[in-house]
Amino acid sequence: MYMKTRKRIDTLFTEIALIIISLIVFAPLLLAITISFQTPDSVFSYPPKLLPSTFYYDNYINAFKTIPFARLLLNSAIIAVAITFGKVISGILAGYAFANFKFFGKRFTFSFLFATLFLPAETIMIVPLFLIMNQLGWVNTYWAMTIPFMASATNAFLFRQHFQTIPSELEDAAKIDGAGPMKYFLKVLLPLSKSMIAGVVIINFVYSWNMYLWPMIVSMEDKMKTVQVGVKMLISGEGTNNWGVIMAGTLIAVLPTVIVFLSLQNLFVKSLVRSGVKG
Amino acid sequence: MKKFFVILLIVSLLVTLGMAKTKIQFWHAMSGWRIELLQNMANDFMELNPDIEVEVQYTGSYNETLNKLIAAIKAGTPPHVVQVYEIGTQSIIDGGIAVPMQDMIDKDPSFDIASLLPQVLNYYVVDGKLYSMPFNSSNAIMFYNKTMFEEAGLNPTKPPATYEELMEACKVLTKKDANGNIIQSGITWNLHSWFFEQMLALQDAPLVNNNNGRTAAPTKAVLNDDAALKFVTLWKELADKDYMINTKKADWTGARKLFLSQSVGMLITSTSDVAAIMSGALENGFEVSAAFLPTPADSPQGGVVIGGGSLWMIDGNPEDELEATWEFIKFMSETEQQITWHKGTGYFPVRKDAITQLLNEGYYSEYPDHMVAILQLLFSKQNYNTNGAIMGIFPEFRNTFEDNIERMLNGQMTPEQVLEDTEETATELLEEYNELY
Amino acid sequence: MRKLLPYLLLIPTFFVIIAFIYVPAANSFRMSFFRENKFGTKTMYVGMDNFEKVLFDPEYLQIAGFTLLYVGLSVFLTIFLAFLLALLLNKNVPGTYIYRAMIFIPYAVSPAIAGSLWTFLLDPVAGHVNYFFTNVFGTQIAWLTTRPYAFYALLLATIWKMIPFSLIFYIAGLQSISNDLLESATLDGAKAFTKTWKIKFPLVSPITFYLVIMNIINAMFKSFAIIDVMTRGGPGGYTSTMMYKVYLDAFSYQKTGPASAQSVVMFLIMAIVTVIYFVYGERRVHYR
Repeated sequence: MYMKTRKRIDTLFTEIALIIISLIVFAPLLLAITISFQTPDSVFSYPPKLLPSTFYYDNYINAFKTIPFARLLLNSAIIAVAITFGKVISGILAGYAFANFKFFGKRFTFSFLFATLFLPAETIMIVPLFLIMNQLGWVNTYWAMTIPFMASATNAFLFRQHFQTIPSELEDAAKIDGAGPMKYFLKVLLPLSKSMIAGVVIINFVYSWNMYLWPMIVSMEDKMKTVQVGVKMLISGEGTNNWGVIMAGTLIAVLPTVIVFLSLQNLFVKSLVRSGVKG
Repeated sequence: MKKFFVILLIVSLLVTLGMAKTKIQFWHAMSGWRIELLQNMANDFMELNPDIEVEVQYTGSYNETLNKLIAAIKAGTPPHVVQVYEIGTQSIIDGGIAVPMQDMIDKDPSFDIASLLPQVLNYYVVDGKLYSMPFNSSNAIMFYNKTMFEEAGLNPTKPPATYEELMEACKVLTKKDANGNIIQSGITWNLHSWFFEQMLALQDAPLVNNNNGRTAAPTKAVLNDDAALKFVTLWKELADKDYMINTKKADWTGARKLFLSQSVGMLITSTSDVAAIMSGALENGFEVSAAFLPTPADSPQGGVVIGGGSLWMIDGNPEDELEATWEFIKFMSETEQQITWHKGTGYFPVRKDAITQLLNEGYYSEYPDHMVAILQLLFSKQNYNTNGAIMGIFPEFRNTFEDNIERMLNGQMTPEQVLEDTEETATELLEEYNELY
Repeated sequence: MRKLLPYLLLIPTFFVIIAFIYVPAANSFRMSFFRENKFGTKTMYVGMDNFEKVLFDPEYLQIAGFTLLYVGLSVFLTIFLAFLLALLLNKNVPGTYIYRAMIFIPYAVSPAIAGSLWTFLLDPVAGHVNYFFTNVFGTQIAWLTTRPYAFYALLLATIWKMIPFSLIFYIAGLQSISNDLLESATLDGAKAFTKTWKIKFPLVSPITFYLVIMNIINAMFKSFAIIDVMTRGGPGGYTSTMMYKVYLDAFSYQKTGPASAQSVVMFLIMAIVTVIYFVYGERRVHYR
């Protein structure tokens, strides 16, 4: 009985804490939603509003009118799916190499890969990368927006860390059963990594979905641009901004990532990775 | 049979000729509804010139557009027309990547350069040559909340015209609660060097030497004068007494928000904001009017400098494409387009006849506040100081000045130190820049 | 086959990073010894000049100091809060599905928009936060324009943006701790505190090891966007980081040479930090 009450109090406190925290974290987004339903000028009224007082959905219509959202969403989807796919696969393969093999040059290759994270790619490397794309004839194509991002130290390192937590007894057992390293990788390691893969997919998807500067530089037509460029099309640095439309555009652009998150979050939570294996 | 082949040949030739459209790329930095506006203008142009195809592309902010331009030029694939901000003028000229507008104008008698507003022309003419086509021009004006003025016992038809009057008005407008928190304050403008530049020109003072960089490349910043000190001191006094609320750097929205939420009684901002301020005031239930920028009572009379952007014709494209580009640029500067642009954006028209036509239409009796910006510009004395400084390091100059103003507002610098340090840093930057050209 | 396999596994990754990261980076490295005008029409060899300019500049040293403080604090707070939040979210109380989404969504918002939203909330007079502060505490703070509040505001926005990344991997990591282990600990009478810090935390240490260094890299290299929209490095350069300076020099002023030199400096700093981190850190990580 005592245990049960304690458990209930614990649940109650957790619940309250989570409500407060998630509301604080979500507050800016709540503001975005509110603004997206306000008329353009009431955004600035005082006292400030956090909840919508009107339901002015014209902002959404205007956002769709101002920018070719359908095409931009499609571009972003193509780019994000391609990059995520490539990045996760290359990352898993590299992570497996670093975690489960001893080979000549392992330290060097790992450092060489890791060092790419110390380069401020988004600033000084844009022009040289553009010149490479131009030589390859990739300017204004999906290639330029996807291929250069299909591998990263971030994923390789994460999977290295993750594979190292999987007991080596499993690998020994597989060997005894006569399974080769690829078979062990496909039949044992991957199924045990579902939650990590789901997490990485979410992170990679959001990262590539949010790419902005590079697609802007390397696209030469409005129809090749991404949804983040679309949102930017609504914002002006100096001129007058229609914040209602901007927030409507932002929410439209955020929605697909939220859907990806919601559909994957069960995957990385329910799969109790090591349930069969007792450490 | 022979005849048939001749006809076939002619027909196919005509078809290919008809197909052979000259394609030109137009990169611009105008967001929001202005994207559609520009696209429509380009569509009108294509209808008139079926052999030219204009690919309009929004290329991000001015800065992003500039970076994209640099990448394209280094790759040898330059676009044809690019919109560049006014402070980029010198560095594009120095880069030698553009075909001066003057070269095209000299070849084309159908274009009358005298039809452009001299106040605008004077900014973009360098060494007697017009380098780019003025397109979107603005300057700074002051808006004030008439309702608030009335409530505070100020004359709502007489906005402050001098620094002294401004100080007085702000004092009356500022209200605090028992804890010393600001409930209402006098004025705001976003923390931007542009306003400083305007205030110097209004007092007929230069920013850099060599006649504001217009007779030779500037080698020194010249901020060691009364004009600069008066404005920076005013800024500090207003802030110290809470008569002014400061935003972060270049926070145009923040300043507008303070004004529209009636947290301040006055706002200095760009003329391209007129329409938004008017409708915002209506929504929030107060009356607003526009006024000229204030100046110190005893200062020499200068004028405002135009801001905004212009259209550049980029070199490195074949001759026939350059011709098509010129046709397009010419079209964009025509009266009708300039009127469309003015009405759609609030940037003022860059042509005299456009203004005359708008006056005749009665547009300004309907929107008198649009007129204030134009009058302020027309009343501006024209000389090197009011033509505006040009220098290759303008973006850095601005950042240096703004950093120092922030230091002053946080009590780390005096107005004298702000000017001294800005002058010193800018001079160093100019020296470095000049080594490279 | 087993000898060759790891090399084959690395081919895709190395193809991409060499062609699209190292080749352009080599160009940038070369540029650190040059100065060039905007359109590359004049290039000047300047030797170590670009490096000397930053290394002997007191302003740059101050920026480096701030970077250290900013990176250190934001990484520590992010890791700590993300782990605690992951624990709460792993209790699977009703509504967890929603809370998790609400905490994750900020990650998907672009920095430009995030910055605008925070700027609205933190407006000196008409903002939500100050409306609350004046009415409840009777104080009014100029969050984004005064010291030290600009730093607090920036830190808040940075952590807000960084937490979801760590949170996701902590949640995934905590899921894989076997329940048996925790149950046996509970039977042993382990207190909640012990269970958390002596059992759970060490068990996810490979993830923590990963997250600490990744967050350092993030705060070091990726945060310029949020700084640009929150404070623009102000007031008076107070919240400028090394990367923000690279961004300004490279992107706003197109000074490739100095920006490249600063990037080399940052690269070296990170290389040293990482070597130390791997040598000392990896010993303490609890694998398998």
